Amino acid sequence: MLANVFLKTVRDRWLGWMIALGVVWSFVLLGFAAYSDLDLSILATFPEAYRTMIGLRPGMDAGALSIAAIYGTYGSLTFAAMALAMGAASIAGEERKGTLGLLLANPRSRTHVYVSKVAALVVLTIFATAVMWAISIGTASMMDIALGDLDVMALNVHMLASTLFYGLLAVAIGAATGKRGAASGISTGVLAVGFLGAGLLPLIEGGEKWAKLFPWYYFNGSEPLYNGIEWGHIALLVGAAAVFAVVGLIGLLRRDLKGQSVGVTIIDRLRENPMTKKIADRLAGSARVSSIWLKSASEHQIALVSACSYVFFIQLMLGPFYNALPKEAFEMLAQLPEGLEVLFAFFGGGDMSTPAGFFQIETFGMMAPIMVMLVTIAISSAAVAGEESKRTMGLLLANPITRSRVIAENTWAMVFYASIVGFATFAGTALGALIAGLDMSMWNIAATCVLLTLVGIVGGALALAIGAGTGRKGAAVWGATGVMVALHVLNSIGSVTDGLSFLQRLSPFYYYLGNDPLNKGMDWGHPVVLTVIAAVLIGISFPLFQRRDIRQRD
Amino acid sequence: MSEAAIRTEGLTKHYGKVEALVDLNLEIPPGEVFGFLGPNGAGKTTTIRTMMDEIRATAGSASILGMDTHEKSVEIRKHIGYVPGDLAMYPNLTGRDTLMYFANLRGGVDWAYVDTLAERLDAQLDKKVGDLSSGNRQKVGLIQAFMSKPEVVIMDEPSSGLDPLVQRELQKMMREVAAEGRTVFLSSHTLSEVQRVAHRVGIIRHGRLIALETVQALRSKAMRQVEIELDRPADVDVFRAVEGVTDVRAQNNHVVMTFGGDMGALLKVAEGRYGIVDISTQSADLEEIFLTYYQDEEASA
Repeated sequence: MLANVFLKTVRDRWLGWMIALGVVWSFVLLGFAAYSDLDLSILATFPEAYRTMIGLRPGMDAGALSIAAIYGTYGSLTFAAMALAMGAASIAGEERKGTLGLLLANPRSRTHVYVSKVAALVVLTIFATAVMWAISIGTASMMDIALGDLDVMALNVHMLASTLFYGLLAVAIGAATGKRGAASGISTGVLAVGFLGAGLLPLIEGGEKWAKLFPWYYFNGSEPLYNGIEWGHIALLVGAAAVFAVVGLIGLLRRDLKGQSVGVTIIDRLRENPMTKKIADRLAGSARVSSIWLKSASEHQIALVSACSYVFFIQLMLGPFYNALPKEAFEMLAQLPEGLEVLFAFFGGGDMSTPAGFFQIETFGMMAPIMVMLVTIAISSAAVAGEESKRTMGLLLANPITRSRVIAENTWAMVFYASIVGFATFAGTALGALIAGLDMSMWNIAATCVLLTLVGIVGGALALAIGAGTGRKGAAVWGATGVMVALHVLNSIGSVTDGLSFLQRLSPFYYYLGNDPLNKGMDWGHPVVLTVIAAVLIGISFPLFQRRDIRQRD
Repeated sequence: MSEAAIRTEGLTKHYGKVEALVDLNLEIPPGEVFGFLGPNGAGKTTTIRTMMDEIRATAGSASILGMDTHEKSVEIRKHIGYVPGDLAMYPNLTGRDTLMYFANLRGGVDWAYVDTLAERLDAQLDKKVGDLSSGNRQKVGLIQAFMSKPEVVIMDEPSSGLDPLVQRELQKMMREVAAEGRTVFLSSHTLSEVQRVAHRVGIIRHGRLIALETVQALRSKAMRQVEIELDRPADVDVFRAVEGVTDVRAQNNHVVMTFGGDMGALLKVAEGRYGIVDISTQSADLEEIFLTYYQDEEASA
């Protein structure tokens, strides 16, 4: 094996994994702290369908709740996303950067390089999972939280298999096609759709068998935390991962390596065809380069379309889906004692017995803000830091334009796109509610989507400010993402812990869902607060960028 | 009287403790091609990026067309064209899209002129920049610098990746710019290129300007390679004693030396001791001058 390719890949990636580990661990820690003083005996009275959805069990205690909720969502999603990013970067990423050719100029076969890369991914994943297991157990014992019969090890083994599945899926697509975008895009899609499909379908009568279509089902469907390792599921996930690895290798061995060349898009083909050349030229060529903001916008079309179609269809389907849920669940939920909304805090809170609460927990709480911020953080981090990382800023600023104009036009592109995602969310939710005949106020849906847009703009503004201050794209993307995730957790913790409710007000997410806008409508103070936060962040971006040297190297 | 096209006064840039550029004073009149020479890491790019207001001077100032490069940077950029070193562009745009983007930011250009430039440089504008070879990408960068017919063209290693024919065309374009009274600031380590087009040359090393001369003056100062064929085997010590002679080698009747002094004195010594059969001298090009300058610096350092 090519030890140095293996070691270099591990070295390039270990920091990311450590950060991911730190984030997940801090969630576990917060979970232990937040849930430890709750009386959870009431869980036994929950309807079955309801319990399975968030992995609850009668007799469950704080430890179980935190570990189930956090591994089940944040932790396992974070790990899958890390593996996926690493997988997409491994072959296709090096190809895109033009370094794969250089690497293969050494007397090493493609197979050697590929195996080294895959080995690095597998070893890092195993290592991170093992560390995660150790620190969860260790933290629980330090905090005197009894884990009882919980099989944390089994959950970790399932998480490992699931993480490898997504990582190697991305490796395989990247290796077989050489397209990094396809590798990360397709595997992210499989992950996101599977997460929702496997989570939601079992709630419906007879839906369990359909849930088995989604890989995510094999991570948590057998509830390994309680039932131990389900070897059949592990075998399926690991077997699929192994098949991916082989398919990727065969694909890599058979095809031509790409240079730094960019892919051919549909619009490129249209531009080549004399019939469609004119209109395609207008769409792709002159329109997208007519100003800075249009160019930024056009470069993030794919992110926009993905995010919009995702939120639109999910929201559209949730309405009818709500009707399909067993009604007795809602009746029982209506009689639940006060204070139990804490269980849903991590998902954005909400009262599940109403359609509004259901929507809030299912999408508005986490998925919708993630989708908006995916777009706003992408566009804002590309605005200043991205141009500098790609070394095009010097050329751009050789034109008679001010640095402020670069910030202003990109801000506009970001706000514009956030509004489109907000509108798509509104359209999907409203249509879904109409089709299903749910009792939901259109005004309240609109108000929530306005707040959603604004919270997305806050995330984008933060990425813009970090990028303007540092010129580093990684800092902008990960800094903004990290801070927003932390603020989301802060809001969740604040909402469940009496003494800490003041913390909530420090988080922009409080001004998004804190007043339960789907049920109660707009509290006009909240959009003002969000707008002010965004305005301040955007405002400081101007002097931050104005004052410093343009970076020339990454 | 005409204003200097480019002027720097005590221009200094430190990165932390590293002195990237120290006290640079230059004055370049309109209509000149100024060659800015130095090895890698000498401070050429730092100078240019400071003039472009990409980075800010630690001390001193620079002005282009009489305007301060920091205070009036946007106004200045209406009048300049720029080719950055290690050129990077947007890989997903075609060459034409790229030019159109910059043209829009400039408020329009003469597209007939763009086509002329593209033809002269043999550039492919309908391919995506990411699919072009580095030389072809460089051509797109050159067109964007020349297309607005700027008063001042600032270029950082512009001929990297270009084939010799295109390099020659670029040199022609630079001479034309100068002939029209416009100014070219050409940073390079390709000395032959500078020698062909520049009027004056500044040589920079370790962030300090170590020479500023016309190309002619530099060349006349230059060391020459002198080879003399004598009627019998030569004694190197005879020649070594002559002022201006360095690096003497003798092989049978031939003696070869590097010489930078009075040729009459050298010949007198040779004729006094030997019969001269043949003599040839080769005037040094900038390459050798360049090396001479640096060797001197190194020796004194």
